[in-house]
Amino acid sequence: MSRRLRDRILDPPEHVLAWALLAPALLLVLAVVAWPVARLFANSVMDVRLSQGLPVRFVGLDNYAAVLADPLFWRSVRNTMVIVIATVPGALVVGLALALLANLPFRTRGPIRLALLLPWATPLAFTGLIFAWFFHSEYGLVNDLLARVGAGPRIWFNSPGLTLAAICMATIWKTSSFMALILLAGLQTIPASLYEAAEVDGASRWTQFREITLPMLVPSMLVALIFRTLTAIQSFDIPVSMPGPGEETATLAMYIQQQAVDYLDLGYGSALAVFMFALSMAITSVYLRYVRGGGR
Amino acid sequence: MRRLARALAIAMALGSTGTAQAAEPVQLHAYVGGQQRPDIMRELFAEYMAAHPGVKVTLEVGAASSDLHQKYLNMVLTAKDPTLDVFLIDIVRPAQFAAAGWAEPLDRYLGAERESFMSRFLPGYVAADTIGGHVIALPALADALFLYYRKDLLDRYGAPVPATWEELARTARRIQAGEHDPQLQGVSFQGKAVEGAVCTFLLPYWSLGGEIIRDGRLSFDRAKAEAGLGMWLGLVRDGVAKANISEVATDDTRKEFQAGKVIFAVAWGYAWNHFQQDADSQVAGKVGVARLPAMPGGESVSCMGGWNWAVSAFSRHKPEAVELVRWMARPEVSRELAVRGSFHPAQAAVYEDPQVRQAVPWFHDALPVVASARARPVTAVYKQVSDAIRINTNTVLAGVKTPSEALDEIEQRIARALRR
Repeated sequence: MSRRLRDRILDPPEHVLAWALLAPALLLVLAVVAWPVARLFANSVMDVRLSQGLPVRFVGLDNYAAVLADPLFWRSVRNTMVIVIATVPGALVVGLALALLANLPFRTRGPIRLALLLPWATPLAFTGLIFAWFFHSEYGLVNDLLARVGAGPRIWFNSPGLTLAAICMATIWKTSSFMALILLAGLQTIPASLYEAAEVDGASRWTQFREITLPMLVPSMLVALIFRTLTAIQSFDIPVSMPGPGEETATLAMYIQQQAVDYLDLGYGSALAVFMFALSMAITSVYLRYVRGGGR
Repeated sequence: MRRLARALAIAMALGSTGTAQAAEPVQLHAYVGGQQRPDIMRELFAEYMAAHPGVKVTLEVGAASSDLHQKYLNMVLTAKDPTLDVFLIDIVRPAQFAAAGWAEPLDRYLGAERESFMSRFLPGYVAADTIGGHVIALPALADALFLYYRKDLLDRYGAPVPATWEELARTARRIQAGEHDPQLQGVSFQGKAVEGAVCTFLLPYWSLGGEIIRDGRLSFDRAKAEAGLGMWLGLVRDGVAKANISEVATDDTRKEFQAGKVIFAVAWGYAWNHFQQDADSQVAGKVGVARLPAMPGGESVSCMGGWNWAVSAFSRHKPEAVELVRWMARPEVSRELAVRGSFHPAQAAVYEDPQVRQAVPWFHDALPVVASARARPVTAVYKQVSDAIRINTNTVLAGVKTPSEALDEIEQRIARALRR
């Protein structure tokens, strides 16, 4: 090996080195993100029905038109949005309360913080199954409690509204601890000197919370909200384990799964997934604009 | 260079030992669900291997529900994965397996024997397993829905076994009133959005002569479907069935009857052995079984169930796999499954077998029910058809939709699945 070649290899020019160092990450992103997303878009303009042995053919925007005309798609979007609108603020409020509680300087803080993480560590489908039992009309805890206070039993899963309420409760229980975790980290970055100064100025506890804690927490809240909203749009495990009457409470992710996995209709399922992708992008960009705007 | 030569020599030596062991057994992988008694299947395969030293059969056990069983096969077969050679498929699936090209047609292996070989099976099963003139699978286990009833209660009230649903409702109400037990259900059937709810919908509809698909087209009789759903709703409204029947899945009916909380139950054949033999059964010796009631002016029909052996189109050992499923279709195997697993044979002759008559005496009377049971719609888009029916039957029983609204959606969804 010539000396010059060895030098070239050991000391490459900046731009070559840059690409060489980027290559592994770039290849990984291409393989696990770009390629599947590209395939998704490609499938969404095709007729791909694997269960019927039909030839794959190009159908342009037919799948998209069918999605927009499909009442079951709109029902699944509505159910998904109900879950987003109820559980994102719900988890934020409960998570904030939990974070404030865990941030209090008491002695048994360790075990409390550990307990706080328990719902987060519980698998989603497991959570759904546990709550499905809670709300079971005959064997459930909830109807038992209702009976004790003199209220009649309800068949929760016979009503789309009550089922969605039960799903939202399970989701808030499950996701509040993740919120609390991020907010707790945020709380701990607020300098104690701010509270000391407020104390000296005679600010009440409530004023301190409103004027110091909340504004200082905004960046953490935004991060938590983005994550929470995206996972809420993808709600699958909990609603699928707590089915209401028929498919009345099916979410968008459940509808995609039914079309693409159960019916092996990859074209239609991909078109549905593109809509979910668009929905996620739209909501994330709203948040990001808010973040760039300095959180105001 | 010398190192390369040595490596080549070793590789060739290894290769030659490979050919020297050409008699190495053919590996077959069989897939059955958890409900199809894998313990018995394993012993049957062991027997097969003893008789066929050139073949080694490995059993893979799948899910306990037909839906999950199928989900797994969907994954394996859309990937054209050759690791499974033979599998049991639900009686509703052959059309999809044929359309998707997942099952190896068996007629080319049966050849001239086809007629005589297939004649041993009940005609309904031969029809269900024959798609477009090709034999897609061989019937393994038969099943049907029966009416189980509390013999002791019917005797106490001097009531005959009901022949119509109306009569069943009257008898049930009389016994419920007489027993003063608010927990006692008149009838239990499948109202949850599971596969069983498809049969729930079809029983009264078929009884009136309705059908779903004819010649690949939707053939839907709204008046009959509405009468059928109305009959079930009436049972719920009158308190004969419990208010949350929409939460009752297939095995819930079995468990609640077994706990002594139900007078009449619509359930599959497997329930019998649980009722009579389970340690926790409150109804052992008090159970009768009969054909299902009819709608007024209609006939008694049952829903055909069962499992069938298919050979994967992607298997690398098709002749050996076909040989295995042919062996599993022998009357001796069917008898073994009846005696030890209380599975209904799909072969009429096996019902007359002395061992079968001794082990499961009621099978003799069950044969006409099994033989006349009707097949659910035969279509490559069965899953879509099944979902449309079960989902809407469930919403009606939950009181969310009227039968008329539900029938609109059933019609639209099936029409769309058949058209697209």
